Amino acid sequence: MATLSLPVAGDQNTNAFLHEAAAAKFDFHSVSVKAAGDEQLKLAVGGAVTRQDASRKMRMLDLPDPDAIRQLAGDIKQHTLDHLDYYLHQLGTNVEKNGGVVHFAKDGAEAKRIILDIATQEDTKRCIKSKSMVSEEIELAHALELAGLDVVETDLGEFIVQISHDKPSHLVQPIVHKDRKSIAKLFAEYFNTPYNDDPQALCQQARLFLRDKFRTSDLGITGGNFLVAETGHVVGVENEGNQRQSVTTPRVMIALVGIEKVIPRMTDLAVMIKLLARSATGQPITIYTNIYGGPRDKGEKDGPEVFHLILMDNGRTEILASEEYRETLRCIRCGACLNACPIYRSIGGHAYGSVYPGPIGALITPLMQGLGEFKDLPHASSLCGACYEACPVKINIPKHLINLRRDIVERKINHPIERFIYRAWAKSLKSPLLYKLNTKLQKLVLRSQAEEHGGWVTKLPSIASGWTTIRDMPQPAAKTFHELWKDR
Amino acid sequence: MIDPSNVLEKVARSLGRTSVLTAPPTPPELPEPLVRLVHTDFGLRELFAKRATELKMLVEPCYTEELPDKLAGFLKANNCRAIGMNVSKLLNGLGLPQSLRDAGLDVKTWDDLTLDSAYDLDAAVTDVTYAVAETGTLVIRTDANHGRSLTLVPKVHVAILQPKNFVPDLLDLMERLVKDGVGSHVTLISGPSKTADIEMNVVIGVHGPLIVKAYILS
Repeated sequence: MATLSLPVAGDQNTNAFLHEAAAAKFDFHSVSVKAAGDEQLKLAVGGAVTRQDASRKMRMLDLPDPDAIRQLAGDIKQHTLDHLDYYLHQLGTNVEKNGGVVHFAKDGAEAKRIILDIATQEDTKRCIKSKSMVSEEIELAHALELAGLDVVETDLGEFIVQISHDKPSHLVQPIVHKDRKSIAKLFAEYFNTPYNDDPQALCQQARLFLRDKFRTSDLGITGGNFLVAETGHVVGVENEGNQRQSVTTPRVMIALVGIEKVIPRMTDLAVMIKLLARSATGQPITIYTNIYGGPRDKGEKDGPEVFHLILMDNGRTEILASEEYRETLRCIRCGACLNACPIYRSIGGHAYGSVYPGPIGALITPLMQGLGEFKDLPHASSLCGACYEACPVKINIPKHLINLRRDIVERKINHPIERFIYRAWAKSLKSPLLYKLNTKLQKLVLRSQAEEHGGWVTKLPSIASGWTTIRDMPQPAAKTFHELWKDR
Repeated sequence: MIDPSNVLEKVARSLGRTSVLTAPPTPPELPEPLVRLVHTDFGLRELFAKRATELKMLVEPCYTEELPDKLAGFLKANNCRAIGMNVSKLLNGLGLPQSLRDAGLDVKTWDDLTLDSAYDLDAAVTDVTYAVAETGTLVIRTDANHGRSLTLVPKVHVAILQPKNFVPDLLDLMERLVKDGVGSHVTLISGPSKTADIEMNVVIGVHGPLIVKAYILS
């Protein structure tokens, strides 16, 4: 099988972040400090998602009672999760009735093996893949390429991610971190054409290139926004039409979807559609909503001859088993919490070191991949609550981030020195004498330190130095509260 | 269902059950005042036209007898020569394949087309299964007479809408789909294909049609 040859390109900044994020031990502090210092990134990402957030807020006002319908959508998803075994079974049975093949995969490795087996068995040559977070989660395209399959990402953003060897930095707008100049440069190199940074021209170029890929494809891979248990259909939303291509042209089709995507009834889809596009992009509905299941019907001349649905667990059942965190599986990947988040706006998506960035990423990445490596992510939040307010299925993200911080302490995942300091602090707060001594000492040391640095404490001594590597403290007041109280 | 690692059982165990639940649970009710945005059957065509226009669809009310001329004029004005049509009682009844041929266009119906030849079409003229007033959405259930590629790969899509196609709300659409059957593929089309991936600049016409036109018959 022929392998796509892809040129090495991409902005250096991004690659540097990715490199660090991919390093054996993920260090959120150093990656996020670097990202926050990148003014261009902040301008591009912050500007774009702030506008997106504003259009979401405007568009939600179309709904008679935005808050209540968010609650309803959350209730539908929660009900489905609470009875997920029933609905998955119902879904699988109905997909089979429609003539499809249903596979369950316990993790990414199993899902990839199933897909490669299908590709081998059906002898497919060219795979067109539409945008899907679950395939990013298991780095599917990369694995298929390594196995020698010709894989083309067909969403414009994902195509740009693919040819620049980058990673998406947003759930909905994968290349929000890239400016048009770097894309124009990339296209000029990749297609060997003159530089042109007009977005219209760039899209045309991609359209023509990908159209030929569509026409000659024989394997289509999609994700899925929803799975309708009642009828056994996959539902995918998009604006470009490349996903429609995946369910139209190739003779073999695979939908890879997380097990949490089920909804009970077709009518529930009305609720979800009304909320998804509004929350994601501020549209009343996406340009295309594709509802598909099973191979082509008798007499149909296009659409897949073979249809496979892969339902992947990959850590979801562990979250499901926790009554406390189960509701995080309600997520419909709209990205509204990213757009609303002051932290995401400052550091962009790559700094989170996971395909799921932003508030929801800070929550589900540690839940899916373990707190050990990602123990800093629950702290990547100011707990302002903007994410909870934006969430169309009402996941209480700030509450869960606090719960994760609690887990870090309870399971002693935080640094021993940090634990020692908090224990000492607690002791000193309980004893008036120690408290007085402590505040006097702090005042003495910190005030003089701050005077040397323009009124800010920028570097704490020895064991406490970690605290000031990412934040400055204002100069302590000249008099303690106790002293002020005495002098009143 | 192929489940070598017993994922389904694991799901049941995660929910505190020893085996997969078989008794159907009752999902939450969907209160109409909360979900429904369109509460009337009146003025659906006007509402559809308003919404679809907002989504950059071209909408034109049209009398049956003036359709052939208008349609031929529109297709020629957009440099469309090779025209594909679905096999449709409505379109045949309107005499469209013939009238467009008489106007000098190369017209093929889906029974004479294949997936690959659809890529060479300039435009598709089709009927629709439903039209949703709430969102200005065309809904097509594809089948042996109506290929999936027909309304996807040509750069122009012209839809002919009848009064009976209109449903008020997405909620009504979903109820109709359950009642009438979803089939293997239903697509909802709400305007021309677009992207905003590059610096959030909206570009019309990515992988689907650049122009979507709806004639609403009265």
